[in-house]
Amino acid sequence: MSEFIVTTKNLKKYFSSRSGTVKAVDGVNLAVRQGEIFGFLGPNGAGKTTTLRMLATLMTPTSGTINIAGFDVAKQPDEVRRHIGYVGQNGGSDRPATGVENLILQGRLYGMSHAEANERARELVKLLQLNDFADRIVYTYSGGQRRRLDVAIGIMHRPDVLFLDEPTVGLDPQNRANLWDEITKLKSQGVTIFLTTHYMEEADILSDRLTIIDEGKIVDEGTPEALKKEVGGDCIAIGVENQQDVGQKLKIAIKKEGYSTKITEESELIKIYVKDGALVVGRLMKLLDQQKVKLRTITITEPSLDDVFLQKTGYSLRDKDLDEGGQS
Amino acid sequence: MKTLRDIRLLFWRKMMETLRNPIYIVVSMLTPVVYLLLFSPLLKKLTIPGYTPSDVLNLFVPGLLVIVAFLSGLFVGYTMIDEVKTGVIERFRVTPVSRFALLAGRVLRDLVNTLVIVIFFTLVAIPFGFHVHILGYLVLLILVALLLITTSSFGNALGLILKDEDRLSPIVQGINLPIILLSGMLLPMVLAPTWLQVIAHFNPAYYAVEAGRLLVAGHIFQAQVGEAFLFMVPLAVFVVFWATRAFNNALS
Repeated sequence: MSEFIVTTKNLKKYFSSRSGTVKAVDGVNLAVRQGEIFGFLGPNGAGKTTTLRMLATLMTPTSGTINIAGFDVAKQPDEVRRHIGYVGQNGGSDRPATGVENLILQGRLYGMSHAEANERARELVKLLQLNDFADRIVYTYSGGQRRRLDVAIGIMHRPDVLFLDEPTVGLDPQNRANLWDEITKLKSQGVTIFLTTHYMEEADILSDRLTIIDEGKIVDEGTPEALKKEVGGDCIAIGVENQQDVGQKLKIAIKKEGYSTKITEESELIKIYVKDGALVVGRLMKLLDQQKVKLRTITITEPSLDDVFLQKTGYSLRDKDLDEGGQS
Repeated sequence: MKTLRDIRLLFWRKMMETLRNPIYIVVSMLTPVVYLLLFSPLLKKLTIPGYTPSDVLNLFVPGLLVIVAFLSGLFVGYTMIDEVKTGVIERFRVTPVSRFALLAGRVLRDLVNTLVIVIFFTLVAIPFGFHVHILGYLVLLILVALLLITTSSFGNALGLILKDEDRLSPIVQGINLPIILLSGMLLPMVLAPTWLQVIAHFNPAYYAVEAGRLLVAGHIFQAQVGEAFLFMVPLAVFVVFWATRAFNNALS
Protein backbone atom coordinates (compact mmCIF):
# COMPACT_ATOMS: atom_id res chain seq x y z
CA MET A 1 0.00 0.00 0.00
CA SER A 2 1.24 3.48 -0.78
CA GLU A 3 1.93 6.09 1.87
CA PHE A 4 -1.44 7.69 1.07
CA ILE A 5 -4.51 5.91 2.39
CA VAL A 6 -7.09 8.25 0.88
CA THR A 7 -6.65 9.94 -2.46
CA THR A 8 -9.09 11.75 -4.71
CA LYS A 9 -8.55 12.90 -8.26
CA ASN A 10 -10.43 15.85 -9.66
CA LEU A 11 -13.46 15.05 -7.52
CA LYS A 12 -16.63 16.91 -8.48
CA LYS A 13 -20.20 16.99 -7.27
CA TYR A 14 -22.68 19.21 -9.07
CA PHE A 15 -26.30 19.62 -8.05
CA SER A 16 -28.85 21.01 -10.43
CA SER A 17 -31.41 23.31 -8.91
CA ARG A 18 -34.00 25.67 -10.29
CA SER A 19 -31.53 28.53 -10.25
CA GLY A 20 -28.90 26.57 -12.17
CA THR A 21 -26.05 24.21 -11.42
CA VAL A 22 -24.48 24.35 -7.97
CA LYS A 23 -20.85 23.27 -7.98
CA ALA A 24 -20.74 21.95 -4.42
CA VAL A 25 -17.38 20.23 -4.94
CA ASP A 26 -15.39 21.41 -7.92
CA GLY A 27 -12.22 19.52 -8.73
CA VAL A 28 -10.86 18.48 -5.35
CA ASN A 29 -7.57 16.56 -5.11
CA LEU A 30 -6.73 15.15 -1.72
CA ALA A 31 -3.97 12.91 -0.42
CA VAL A 32 -4.23 11.70 3.16
CA ARG A 33 -1.21 10.00 4.71
CA GLN A 34 -1.48 6.85 6.73
CA GLY A 35 -1.65 7.53 10.46
CA GLU A 36 -2.14 11.28 10.36
CA ILE A 37 -4.94 13.56 11.45
CA PHE A 38 -6.02 15.29 8.30
CA GLY A 39 -8.06 18.45 8.78
CA PHE A 40 -10.53 19.66 6.19
CA LEU A 41 -11.30 23.26 7.06
CA GLY A 42 -13.79 25.60 5.47
CA PRO A 43 -16.83 27.75 6.17
CA ASN A 44 -20.35 26.31 6.22
CA GLY A 45 -21.45 25.40 2.74
CA ALA A 46 -17.89 25.14 1.38
CA GLY A 47 -18.35 21.53 0.26
CA LYS A 48 -16.77 19.72 3.21
CA THR A 49 -19.68 17.48 4.06
CA THR A 50 -20.45 16.73 0.42
CA THR A 51 -16.84 15.63 -0.10
CA LEU A 52 -16.95 13.52 3.03
CA ARG A 53 -20.21 11.84 2.00
CA MET A 54 -18.65 10.87 -1.31
CA LEU A 55 -15.61 9.43 0.47
CA ALA A 56 -17.85 7.45 2.82
CA THR A 57 -19.77 5.76 -0.06
CA LEU A 58 -22.95 7.70 0.75
CA MET A 59 -23.04 9.78 -2.40
CA THR A 60 -21.95 9.22 -5.99
CA PRO A 61 -19.56 11.84 -7.43
CA THR A 62 -20.50 13.66 -10.61
CA SER A 63 -16.98 12.89 -11.81
CA GLY A 64 -13.52 12.09 -10.49
CA THR A 65 -12.15 9.09 -8.63
CA ILE A 66 -11.65 8.17 -4.99
CA ASN A 67 -9.28 5.53 -3.73
CA ILE A 68 -9.34 4.38 -0.11
CA ALA A 69 -7.00 1.72 1.30
CA GLY A 70 -6.29 0.56 -2.24
CA PHE A 71 -9.92 0.23 -3.35
CA ASP A 72 -11.88 2.30 -5.82
CA VAL A 73 -14.99 3.69 -4.08
CA ALA A 74 -17.13 3.50 -7.21
CA LYS A 75 -16.13 -0.05 -8.11
CA GLN A 76 -15.69 -1.73 -4.72
CA PRO A 77 -17.88 0.12 -2.25
CA ASP A 78 -18.24 -2.87 0.09
CA GLU A 79 -14.45 -3.29 0.35
CA VAL A 80 -14.12 0.41 1.09
CA ARG A 81 -16.87 0.15 3.70
CA ARG A 82 -14.94 -2.54 5.55
CA HIS A 83 -11.95 -0.22 5.88
CA ILE A 84 -13.62 2.99 6.94
CA GLY A 85 -15.46 4.27 9.96
CA TYR A 86 -17.81 7.22 9.66
CA VAL A 87 -19.31 9.52 12.25
CA GLY A 88 -21.79 11.90 10.63
CA GLN A 89 -22.85 15.29 11.92
CA ASN A 90 -25.92 13.76 13.55
CA GLY A 91 -23.93 11.00 15.20
CA GLY A 92 -25.70 7.77 14.43
CA SER A 93 -26.24 6.11 17.77
CA ASP A 94 -29.60 4.41 18.09
CA ARG A 95 -31.54 6.27 20.79
CA PRO A 96 -33.80 3.49 22.16
CA ALA A 97 -30.85 1.10 22.73
CA THR A 98 -28.04 1.16 25.29
CA GLY A 99 -24.52 2.27 24.41
CA VAL A 100 -23.15 -1.27 24.66
CA GLU A 101 -25.98 -2.66 22.50
CA ASN A 102 -25.16 -0.04 19.88
CA LEU A 103 -21.51 -1.08 19.91
CA ILE A 104 -22.20 -4.81 19.77
CA LEU A 105 -24.66 -4.48 16.89
CA GLN A 106 -22.16 -2.38 14.95
CA GLY A 107 -19.46 -5.01 15.47
CA ARG A 108 -21.80 -7.80 14.43
CA LEU A 109 -22.83 -5.97 11.28
CA TYR A 110 -19.16 -6.13 10.32
CA GLY A 111 -19.16 -9.89 10.88
CA MET A 112 -17.88 -10.21 14.44
CA SER A 113 -19.26 -12.97 16.65
CA HIS A 114 -21.21 -11.90 19.70
CA ALA A 115 -18.26 -12.73 21.98
CA GLU A 116 -15.80 -10.80 19.83
CA ALA A 117 -18.11 -7.81 19.61
CA ASN A 118 -18.72 -7.86 23.33
CA GLU A 119 -15.00 -7.92 24.09
CA ARG A 120 -14.27 -5.08 21.66
CA ALA A 121 -17.17 -3.04 23.07
CA ARG A 122 -15.80 -3.35 26.61
CA GLU A 123 -12.37 -2.33 25.30
CA LEU A 124 -13.81 0.83 23.75
CA VAL A 125 -15.88 1.62 26.82
CA LYS A 126 -12.59 1.76 28.68
CA LEU A 127 -10.65 3.63 25.98
CA LEU A 128 -13.23 6.38 25.49
CA GLN A 129 -14.33 6.41 29.14
CA LEU A 130 -17.94 5.48 28.61
CA ASN A 131 -18.14 3.42 31.83
CA ASP A 132 -20.60 5.67 33.64
CA PHE A 133 -23.30 5.44 31.00
CA ALA A 134 -22.51 2.60 28.59
CA ASP A 135 -25.34 0.42 29.90
CA ARG A 136 -27.95 3.17 29.89
CA ILE A 137 -30.42 3.90 27.09
CA VAL A 138 -28.96 6.51 24.74
CA TYR A 139 -32.04 8.77 25.14
CA THR A 140 -30.70 9.66 28.59
CA TYR A 141 -27.24 10.77 27.38
CA SER A 142 -25.92 14.32 27.37
CA GLY A 143 -24.61 15.72 24.09
CA GLY A 144 -21.00 15.08 25.04
CA GLN A 145 -21.67 11.49 26.15
CA ARG A 146 -23.50 10.75 22.91
CA ARG A 147 -20.62 12.13 20.84
CA ARG A 148 -18.17 9.86 22.59
CA LEU A 149 -20.43 6.87 21.93
CA ASP A 150 -20.76 7.93 18.27
CA VAL A 151 -16.98 7.94 17.92
CA ALA A 152 -16.72 4.56 19.67
CA ILE A 153 -19.29 3.10 17.24
CA GLY A 154 -17.25 4.52 14.37
CA ILE A 155 -14.10 2.63 15.37
CA MET A 156 -15.80 -0.55 16.61
CA HIS A 157 -14.56 -2.62 13.65
CA ARG A 158 -11.00 -1.21 13.80
CA PRO A 159 -11.19 0.80 10.56
CA ASP A 160 -8.05 2.07 8.86
CA VAL A 161 -9.57 5.51 8.37
CA LEU A 162 -12.08 7.27 10.57
CA PHE A 163 -14.14 10.08 9.01
CA LEU A 164 -15.44 12.64 11.48
CA ASP A 165 -17.85 15.26 10.20
CA GLU A 166 -17.78 18.36 12.42
CA PRO A 167 -17.23 16.23 15.52
CA THR A 168 -17.48 19.00 18.11
CA VAL A 169 -20.39 21.06 16.77
CA GLY A 170 -22.80 21.80 19.59
CA LEU A 171 -20.43 20.77 22.39
CA ASP A 172 -19.49 23.07 25.24
CA PRO A 173 -15.79 24.03 25.56
CA GLN A 174 -15.01 21.38 28.15
CA ASN A 175 -16.58 18.54 26.17
CA ARG A 176 -14.88 19.85 23.07
CA ALA A 177 -11.47 19.71 24.75
CA ASN A 178 -12.23 16.19 26.02
CA LEU A 179 -13.14 15.00 22.56
CA TRP A 180 -9.95 16.50 21.17
CA ASP A 181 -8.04 14.38 23.68
CA GLU A 182 -9.93 11.28 22.59
CA ILE A 183 -9.23 11.97 18.93
CA THR A 184 -5.52 12.38 19.64
CA LYS A 185 -5.66 9.11 21.58
CA LEU A 186 -7.15 7.33 18.57
CA LYS A 187 -4.35 8.62 16.40
CA SER A 188 -1.80 7.13 18.79
CA GLN A 189 -3.60 3.80 18.24
CA GLY A 190 -2.71 4.05 14.57
CA VAL A 191 -6.08 5.17 13.15
CA THR A 192 -5.89 7.66 10.30
CA ILE A 193 -8.37 10.43 11.00
CA PHE A 194 -10.04 12.60 8.42
CA LEU A 195 -11.89 15.43 10.09
CA THR A 196 -13.98 18.26 8.73
CA THR A 197 -14.44 21.38 10.78
CA HIS A 198 -15.25 25.05 10.45
CA TYR A 199 -13.49 25.84 13.71
CA MET A 200 -10.01 27.20 12.99
CA GLU A 201 -8.83 26.46 16.49
CA GLU A 202 -9.88 22.83 16.14
CA ALA A 203 -8.12 22.44 12.80
CA ASP A 204 -5.04 24.12 14.20
CA ILE A 205 -4.78 22.02 17.35
CA LEU A 206 -5.67 18.61 15.92
CA SER A 207 -4.40 18.47 12.35
CA ASP A 208 -1.04 17.17 11.30
CA ARG A 209 -1.85 18.54 7.88
CA LEU A 210 -4.86 20.39 6.67
CA THR A 211 -6.60 21.47 3.54
CA ILE A 212 -8.67 24.61 3.32
CA ILE A 213 -11.71 24.51 1.06
CA ASP A 214 -13.98 27.33 -0.06
CA GLU A 215 -16.82 27.27 -2.56
CA GLY A 216 -15.99 23.74 -3.64
CA LYS A 217 -12.34 24.45 -4.43
CA ILE A 218 -9.18 23.86 -2.46
CA VAL A 219 -7.67 27.13 -1.32
CA ASP A 220 -4.50 25.98 0.39
CA GLU A 221 -2.91 22.97 2.02
CA GLY A 222 -0.03 22.13 4.33
CA THR A 223 0.80 21.79 8.01
CA PRO A 224 -0.89 24.41 10.21
CA GLU A 225 2.56 25.88 11.00
CA ALA A 226 3.58 26.14 7.36
CA LEU A 227 0.28 27.71 6.39
CA LYS A 228 0.56 30.34 9.08
CA LYS A 229 4.16 31.02 8.14
CA GLU A 230 3.04 31.76 4.58
CA VAL A 231 1.07 34.67 5.92
CA GLY A 232 4.32 35.94 7.40
CA GLY A 233 5.34 36.79 10.92
CA ASP A 234 3.49 38.36 13.81
CA CYS A 235 1.21 41.32 14.18
CA ILE A 236 1.92 44.01 16.80
CA ALA A 237 -1.16 46.07 17.48
CA ILE A 238 -0.66 49.31 19.43
CA GLY A 239 -3.12 51.83 20.72
CA VAL A 240 -1.69 55.30 21.43
CA GLU A 241 -3.02 58.56 22.86
CA ASN A 242 -4.11 61.16 20.32
CA GLN A 243 -3.85 58.72 17.50
CA GLN A 244 -5.59 61.11 15.06
CA ASP A 245 -2.80 63.65 15.51
CA VAL A 246 0.29 61.47 15.84
CA GLY A 247 -0.73 58.41 13.84
CA GLN A 248 0.45 59.51 10.43
CA LYS A 249 3.86 60.71 11.65
CA LEU A 250 4.31 57.57 13.72
CA LYS A 251 3.62 55.30 10.80
CA ILE A 252 6.25 57.02 8.71
CA ALA A 253 8.76 56.77 11.54
CA ILE A 254 8.10 53.04 12.00
CA LYS A 255 8.40 52.44 8.29
CA LYS A 256 11.86 54.09 8.34
CA GLU A 257 13.04 51.57 10.96
CA GLY A 258 12.79 48.89 8.28
CA TYR A 259 11.46 45.89 10.26
CA SER A 260 7.81 46.08 9.27
CA THR A 261 6.39 44.27 6.27
CA LYS A 262 3.07 46.11 6.38
CA ILE A 263 1.40 48.76 8.52
CA THR A 264 -2.34 49.34 8.71
CA GLU A 265 -4.32 51.85 10.74
CA GLU A 266 -7.74 51.34 12.24
CA SER A 267 -9.77 53.74 14.35
CA GLU A 268 -8.17 52.79 17.68
CA LEU A 269 -5.25 50.65 16.59
CA ILE A 270 -2.16 50.69 14.48
CA LYS A 271 -1.18 47.23 13.26
CA ILE A 272 2.45 46.55 12.45
CA TYR A 273 3.23 43.26 10.70
CA VAL A 274 6.76 42.00 11.44
CA LYS A 275 8.77 38.79 11.05
CA ASP A 276 9.34 38.17 14.74
CA GLY A 277 7.39 40.25 17.24
CA ALA A 278 9.56 39.52 20.28
CA LEU A 279 12.75 40.81 18.60
CA VAL A 280 11.20 44.05 17.44
CA VAL A 281 9.09 45.12 20.36
CA GLY A 282 12.03 46.68 22.28
CA ARG A 283 13.03 48.89 19.35
CA LEU A 284 9.41 49.89 18.83
CA MET A 285 9.10 51.02 22.46
CA LYS A 286 12.25 53.09 22.15
CA LEU A 287 10.87 54.74 19.03
CA LEU A 288 7.61 55.58 20.79
CA ASP A 289 9.66 57.22 23.56
CA GLN A 290 11.66 59.28 21.08
CA GLN A 291 8.48 60.37 19.35
CA LYS A 292 6.98 61.25 22.78
CA VAL A 293 3.94 59.13 22.00
CA LYS A 294 2.10 57.69 24.99
CA LEU A 295 1.26 54.00 24.64
CA ARG A 296 -2.16 52.82 25.88
CA THR A 297 -2.28 49.17 24.76
CA ILE A 298 -0.02 46.72 22.98
CA THR A 299 -0.64 43.13 21.85
CA ILE A 300 1.49 40.76 19.84
CA THR A 301 -0.38 38.00 17.98
CA GLU A 302 0.85 35.18 15.86
CA PRO A 303 -1.05 34.72 12.61
CA SER A 304 -4.07 32.41 12.81
CA LEU A 305 -5.58 30.15 10.20
CA ASP A 306 -8.17 32.87 9.76
CA ASP A 307 -5.39 35.16 8.50
CA VAL A 308 -4.45 32.41 6.04
CA PHE A 309 -8.05 32.17 4.91
CA LEU A 310 -8.35 35.94 4.69
CA GLN A 311 -5.24 36.24 2.60
CA LYS A 312 -6.31 33.52 0.16
CA THR A 313 -9.98 34.35 -0.26
CA GLY A 314 -10.24 38.03 0.62
CA TYR A 315 -12.68 37.50 3.44
CA SER A 316 -12.57 36.17 6.97
CA LEU A 317 -13.74 32.68 7.83
CA ARG A 318 -15.57 34.09 10.85
CA ASP A 319 -17.48 36.61 8.78
CA LYS A 320 -18.42 34.02 6.20
CA ASP A 321 -19.80 31.72 8.86
CA LEU A 322 -21.82 34.54 10.36
CA ASP A 323 -23.26 35.43 6.97
CA GLU A 324 -24.33 31.93 6.15
CA GLY A 325 -25.27 30.82 9.65
CA GLY A 326 -26.71 27.39 10.35
CA GLN A 327 -25.10 24.14 9.36
CA SER A 328 -23.56 23.16 6.10
CA MET B 1 -25.97 -16.63 4.49
CA LYS B 2 -24.76 -13.12 5.18
CA THR B 3 -28.00 -11.37 4.21
CA LEU B 4 -30.06 -13.61 6.50
CA ARG B 5 -27.68 -12.91 9.35
CA ASP B 6 -27.94 -9.17 8.71
CA ILE B 7 -31.73 -9.39 8.63
CA ARG B 8 -31.77 -11.27 11.92
CA LEU B 9 -29.51 -8.70 13.62
CA LEU B 10 -31.52 -5.75 12.34
CA PHE B 11 -34.85 -7.44 13.17
CA TRP B 12 -33.80 -7.87 16.79
CA ARG B 13 -32.66 -4.27 17.01
CA LYS B 14 -36.20 -3.13 16.14
CA MET B 15 -37.87 -5.90 18.16
CA MET B 16 -35.99 -4.78 21.27
CA GLU B 17 -37.52 -1.35 20.76
CA THR B 18 -41.00 -2.87 20.78
CA LEU B 19 -40.31 -5.05 23.80
CA ARG B 20 -38.90 -2.09 25.72
CA ASN B 21 -41.90 0.04 24.92
CA PRO B 22 -44.89 -2.32 24.61
CA ILE B 23 -47.31 0.58 25.08
CA TYR B 24 -47.51 0.87 21.30
CA ILE B 25 -48.67 -2.72 20.95
CA VAL B 26 -51.14 -2.37 23.80
CA VAL B 27 -52.69 0.74 22.28
CA SER B 28 -52.83 -0.93 18.88
CA MET B 29 -54.61 -3.88 20.46
CA LEU B 30 -57.18 -1.63 22.05
CA THR B 31 -58.17 0.08 18.79
CA PRO B 32 -59.95 -2.94 17.28
CA VAL B 33 -61.65 -3.63 20.59
CA VAL B 34 -63.01 -0.10 20.60
CA TYR B 35 -64.37 -0.71 17.11
CA LEU B 36 -66.03 -3.93 18.29
CA LEU B 37 -67.66 -2.26 21.26
CA LEU B 38 -68.62 1.10 19.80
CA PHE B 39 -69.16 0.47 16.10
CA SER B 40 -70.30 -3.12 15.49
CA PRO B 41 -73.63 -2.69 17.38
CA LEU B 42 -74.61 -0.18 14.67
CA LEU B 43 -74.40 -2.89 12.05
CA LYS B 44 -77.01 -5.13 13.69
CA LYS B 45 -79.92 -3.08 12.35
CA LEU B 46 -78.60 -2.85 8.79
CA THR B 47 -79.78 -5.13 6.05
CA ILE B 48 -76.79 -6.09 3.99
CA PRO B 49 -77.16 -8.57 1.12
CA GLY B 50 -75.86 -11.98 2.16
CA TYR B 51 -75.63 -11.27 5.88
CA THR B 52 -78.03 -11.82 8.75
CA PRO B 53 -77.82 -9.66 11.87
CA SER B 54 -76.28 -12.58 13.79
CA ASP B 55 -73.28 -13.06 11.49
CA VAL B 56 -72.69 -9.39 10.75
CA LEU B 57 -69.29 -9.62 12.47
CA ASN B 58 -68.19 -11.92 9.63
CA LEU B 59 -68.72 -8.92 7.39
CA PHE B 60 -66.99 -6.47 9.64
CA VAL B 61 -64.03 -8.28 11.27
CA PRO B 62 -62.14 -9.34 8.10
CA GLY B 63 -62.27 -5.76 6.88
CA LEU B 64 -60.95 -4.48 10.17
CA LEU B 65 -58.08 -7.00 10.16
CA VAL B 66 -57.05 -5.79 6.73
CA ILE B 67 -57.22 -2.14 7.69
CA VAL B 68 -55.19 -2.73 10.86
CA ALA B 69 -52.45 -4.24 8.70
CA PHE B 70 -52.71 -1.45 6.18
CA LEU B 71 -52.42 1.32 8.75
CA SER B 72 -49.67 -0.24 10.88
CA GLY B 73 -47.54 -0.37 7.76
CA LEU B 74 -48.37 3.01 6.34
CA PHE B 75 -47.35 5.01 9.41
CA VAL B 76 -43.88 3.53 9.96
CA GLY B 77 -42.41 6.41 7.95
CA TYR B 78 -42.40 8.59 11.07
CA THR B 79 -39.98 6.33 12.95
CA MET B 80 -37.88 6.12 9.82
CA ILE B 81 -37.60 9.91 9.72
CA ASP B 82 -36.46 9.89 13.35
CA GLU B 83 -33.71 7.47 12.45
CA VAL B 84 -32.72 9.50 9.40
CA LYS B 85 -32.46 12.62 11.54
CA THR B 86 -30.41 10.98 14.26
CA GLY B 87 -28.00 9.58 11.65
CA VAL B 88 -28.77 5.91 12.38
CA ILE B 89 -29.70 5.10 8.78
CA GLU B 90 -26.62 6.86 7.44
CA ARG B 91 -24.45 4.90 9.86
CA PHE B 92 -25.91 1.60 8.65
CA ARG B 93 -25.47 2.61 5.03
CA VAL B 94 -21.73 3.06 5.59
CA THR B 95 -21.44 -0.54 6.83
CA PRO B 96 -21.20 -3.40 4.31
CA VAL B 97 -24.66 -4.63 5.34
CA SER B 98 -26.95 -5.72 2.50
CA ARG B 99 -29.34 -2.92 1.52
CA PHE B 100 -32.20 -5.41 1.35
CA ALA B 101 -31.48 -6.44 4.96
CA LEU B 102 -31.73 -2.79 6.04
CA LEU B 103 -35.33 -2.83 4.81
CA ALA B 104 -36.24 -6.42 5.63
CA GLY B 105 -35.20 -6.25 9.30
CA ARG B 106 -37.64 -3.40 9.87
CA VAL B 107 -40.48 -4.88 7.83
CA LEU B 108 -40.17 -8.21 9.59
CA ARG B 109 -40.54 -6.55 12.99
CA ASP B 110 -43.66 -4.73 11.77
CA LEU B 111 -45.00 -8.02 10.44
CA VAL B 112 -44.60 -9.79 13.78
CA ASN B 113 -46.22 -6.89 15.65
CA THR B 114 -49.13 -6.76 13.25
CA LEU B 115 -49.78 -10.50 13.29
CA VAL B 116 -49.85 -10.41 17.09
CA ILE B 117 -52.43 -7.62 17.00
CA VAL B 118 -54.53 -9.28 14.30
CA ILE B 119 -54.62 -12.66 16.00
CA PHE B 120 -55.43 -11.07 19.35
CA PHE B 121 -58.31 -9.19 17.78
CA THR B 122 -59.66 -12.33 16.13
CA LEU B 123 -59.68 -14.13 19.48
CA VAL B 124 -61.53 -11.23 21.10
CA ALA B 125 -64.11 -11.11 18.29
CA ILE B 126 -65.07 -14.81 18.58
CA PRO B 127 -67.11 -14.45 21.79
CA PHE B 128 -68.87 -11.47 20.17
CA GLY B 129 -70.18 -13.79 17.46
CA PHE B 130 -67.39 -13.97 14.84
CA HIS B 131 -67.43 -17.42 13.16
CA VAL B 132 -64.12 -18.35 11.69
CA HIS B 133 -63.08 -21.13 9.33
CA ILE B 134 -59.55 -22.06 10.39
CA LEU B 135 -58.02 -22.94 7.01
CA GLY B 136 -59.61 -19.93 5.34
CA TYR B 137 -58.39 -17.75 8.17
CA LEU B 138 -54.81 -18.94 7.69
CA VAL B 139 -55.01 -17.98 4.02
CA LEU B 140 -56.35 -14.59 5.11
CA LEU B 141 -53.32 -14.18 7.40
CA ILE B 142 -51.10 -14.64 4.34
CA LEU B 143 -53.00 -11.88 2.55
CA VAL B 144 -52.72 -9.66 5.62
CA ALA B 145 -48.97 -10.34 5.73
CA LEU B 146 -48.60 -9.46 2.04
CA LEU B 147 -50.44 -6.20 2.58
CA LEU B 148 -48.33 -5.34 5.63
CA ILE B 149 -45.08 -6.10 3.78
CA THR B 150 -46.24 -3.79 1.01
CA THR B 151 -47.36 -0.89 3.18
CA SER B 152 -44.46 -1.14 5.64
CA SER B 153 -41.92 -1.14 2.80
CA PHE B 154 -43.78 1.76 1.22
CA GLY B 155 -43.98 3.71 4.50
CA ASN B 156 -40.28 3.14 5.24
CA ALA B 157 -39.17 4.17 1.77
CA LEU B 158 -41.37 7.25 1.91
CA GLY B 159 -39.78 8.32 5.20
CA LEU B 160 -36.32 7.67 3.80
CA ILE B 161 -36.97 9.71 0.67
CA LEU B 162 -38.90 12.62 2.22
CA LYS B 163 -36.76 12.87 5.41
CA ASP B 164 -39.23 15.27 7.01
CA GLU B 165 -42.48 14.81 8.93
CA ASP B 166 -44.07 17.87 7.39
CA ARG B 167 -43.66 16.41 3.93
CA LEU B 168 -44.66 12.89 4.96
CA SER B 169 -47.88 13.81 6.75
CA PRO B 170 -49.90 15.14 3.81
CA ILE B 171 -49.05 12.05 1.79
CA VAL B 172 -49.91 9.38 4.33
CA GLN B 173 -52.97 11.27 5.52
CA GLY B 174 -54.04 11.78 1.94
CA ILE B 175 -53.73 8.07 1.14
CA ASN B 176 -55.21 6.88 4.41
CA LEU B 177 -58.85 7.95 4.13
CA PRO B 178 -59.64 7.05 0.50
CA ILE B 179 -58.03 3.63 0.95
CA ILE B 180 -60.15 2.91 4.02
CA LEU B 181 -63.41 4.16 2.49
CA LEU B 182 -62.81 2.39 -0.82
CA SER B 183 -61.81 -0.88 0.81
CA GLY B 184 -65.41 -1.55 1.72
CA MET B 185 -64.31 -2.20 5.27
CA LEU B 186 -67.02 -0.13 6.97
CA LEU B 187 -69.76 -0.87 4.44
CA PRO B 188 -69.33 -3.41 1.64
CA MET B 189 -68.74 -2.03 -1.83
CA VAL B 190 -71.78 -3.99 -3.09
CA LEU B 191 -73.75 -1.01 -1.86
CA ALA B 192 -71.65 1.44 -3.88
CA PRO B 193 -72.55 2.94 -7.28
CA THR B 194 -70.65 1.52 -10.25
CA TRP B 195 -68.12 4.36 -10.60
CA LEU B 196 -67.07 3.92 -6.97
CA GLN B 197 -66.72 0.17 -7.46
CA VAL B 198 -64.48 0.80 -10.47
CA ILE B 199 -62.17 3.06 -8.47
CA ALA B 200 -62.09 0.50 -5.65
CA HIS B 201 -60.47 -1.99 -8.02
CA PHE B 202 -57.27 0.07 -7.87
CA ASN B 203 -57.13 -0.33 -4.10
CA PRO B 204 -55.09 -3.27 -2.77
CA ALA B 205 -57.02 -3.19 0.51
CA TYR B 206 -60.28 -3.70 -1.42
CA TYR B 207 -59.10 -7.07 -2.79
CA ALA B 208 -57.93 -8.18 0.63
CA VAL B 209 -61.22 -7.20 2.28
CA GLU B 210 -63.37 -8.92 -0.36
CA ALA B 211 -61.28 -12.08 -0.25
CA GLY B 212 -61.11 -11.94 3.55
CA ARG B 213 -64.91 -12.13 3.89
CA LEU B 214 -65.03 -15.24 1.73
CA LEU B 215 -62.04 -16.81 3.45
CA VAL B 216 -63.36 -16.59 7.01
CA ALA B 217 -66.50 -18.37 5.76
CA GLY B 218 -64.28 -21.13 4.36
CA HIS B 219 -64.68 -20.29 0.65
CA ILE B 220 -61.05 -20.66 -0.28
CA PHE B 221 -61.22 -21.53 -3.97
CA GLN B 222 -63.13 -18.50 -5.15
CA ALA B 223 -62.33 -16.11 -7.98
CA GLN B 224 -62.04 -13.14 -5.59
CA VAL B 225 -59.41 -14.95 -3.50
CA GLY B 226 -57.32 -15.73 -6.58
CA GLU B 227 -57.77 -12.16 -7.77
CA ALA B 228 -56.51 -10.82 -4.44
CA PHE B 229 -53.31 -12.89 -4.68
CA LEU B 230 -52.84 -11.97 -8.33
CA PHE B 231 -52.99 -8.31 -7.39
CA MET B 232 -51.11 -8.39 -4.09
CA VAL B 233 -48.11 -10.62 -4.84
CA PRO B 234 -46.70 -8.56 -7.76
CA LEU B 235 -47.48 -5.35 -5.88
CA ALA B 236 -45.56 -6.54 -2.81
CA VAL B 237 -42.58 -7.62 -4.94
CA PHE B 238 -42.54 -4.32 -6.77
CA VAL B 239 -42.76 -2.17 -3.63
CA VAL B 240 -40.06 -4.17 -1.80
CA PHE B 241 -37.79 -3.81 -4.81
CA TRP B 242 -38.42 -0.08 -4.99
CA ALA B 243 -37.90 0.41 -1.25
CA THR B 244 -34.59 -1.51 -1.34
CA ARG B 245 -33.45 0.84 -4.07
CA ALA B 246 -34.27 3.79 -1.83
CA PHE B 247 -31.80 2.39 0.74
CA ASN B 248 -29.23 2.02 -1.99
CA ASN B 249 -29.66 5.37 -3.72
CA ALA B 250 -26.14 6.38 -2.73
CA LEU B 251 -24.63 4.31 -5.49
CA SER B 252 -27.49 4.02 -7.93
